[in-house]
Amino acid sequence: MTIHKLIAVLLYCTAFQPLMAWAQAPLAAIPDITGVWERAKDPTAPVSQQAQLKPQYLKVKQALLQAQSEANAKGQPLATRLMQCQGDGMPGMMGGPFPMEVIQSKGQVTIIQEAYTQVRRIYLDQAQKPIADVEPSFFGHSVGHWDQATLIIETIGIKEEVMYQNMPHSDQMRIKEKIYYATPDLLRDEITIEDPVVLEKPWVFTLSYKRIPDYQMLEYVCEGNRYYVDEKGQQKMLPASSIK
Amino acid sequence: MMLVTHVRLIGLFLTLGMVSSSLAHHSFAVYDNSRSQTLKGVVTQWQWSNPHAYLELDVKDAAGALKHYVLEGTSINIMMRGGWRSNMINVGDQVTAVAAPTLNGESTGLLLEVTLANGQIIEMPIPAGYSFKRTP
Repeated sequence: MTIHKLIAVLLYCTAFQPLMAWAQAPLAAIPDITGVWERAKDPTAPVSQQAQLKPQYLKVKQALLQAQSEANAKGQPLATRLMQCQGDGMPGMMGGPFPMEVIQSKGQVTIIQEAYTQVRRIYLDQAQKPIADVEPSFFGHSVGHWDQATLIIETIGIKEEVMYQNMPHSDQMRIKEKIYYATPDLLRDEITIEDPVVLEKPWVFTLSYKRIPDYQMLEYVCEGNRYYVDEKGQQKMLPASSIK
Repeated sequence: MMLVTHVRLIGLFLTLGMVSSSLAHHSFAVYDNSRSQTLKGVVTQWQWSNPHAYLELDVKDAAGALKHYVLEGTSINIMMRGGWRSNMINVGDQVTAVAAPTLNGESTGLLLEVTLANGQIIEMPIPAGYSFKRTP
């Protein structure tokens, strides 16, 4: 081997050494979040904010709250989508307090909320679709990826009627989530709702969960709903005589 | 065990302020939370279902006339986690129910507690159950 060849070999090895070391190292471990979870206390969670709505939307929300409050005071509550067994949609389904199952599989994270058997699918490592290409739905279209130990998710395409805590929203709403372990026993979902049409600034809040060891999810079929909406939009219960 | 589970659920609901979310399938504003009534009667129907369970009773009043009551429970999923099973109540059972009456005066109510035919007392783990007063 000539001195030139020796130098070339040494240079080659030096140049590729970091790359070779990277190739041999295990990939950053993706946390195991598969399992059944329920909402948990989390005193060290980032402080959750109130939604700050633009004035015209704040009026819509206040009118809705006032109508609900007046109807409740009369003992004649207004009908709701939940009352009709339609489920919370996003992000309400992440709020529990029924148990919630997370399943990690190839290219997908699936979350099942026991109440109303609500299911959302988060497609990993895919580009988000343009808003115009997503048909509005209860759970929207979610894409996500792992950024080291944090699952980053973005959801678009929530039906305008599917409101979280009475917050109106536009078709421009994006729900951004960061799911990570705050401690080995506590899973956090830091949620940021962006809606440049409705919100003054993004709405940030945190939901936290602990595992329920050995819990097997129960089915939830809304088979026995006795409630219906009357002609005034009020919640009414079927009379006993009509129940078979 | 039952009571412990119930207290834990209440504690969780209080802590997380979740009463108005999916926990409550509908508003409980139809029920009077300032008083309860105790109804001793015979089970005519026991509806074990979601979104809520229902207990129907025929109760004899002081004059001996039968009055029919429809009492609403909560989700059977929450009930099962609180120790309830569907076979704890059967049509024809003599039970004693404690319920929050409906504000509109109809013979309906929110079921808070049942003394089963075998004498066992079991609480209904309703959302915000602590806010419903028990009165004699």
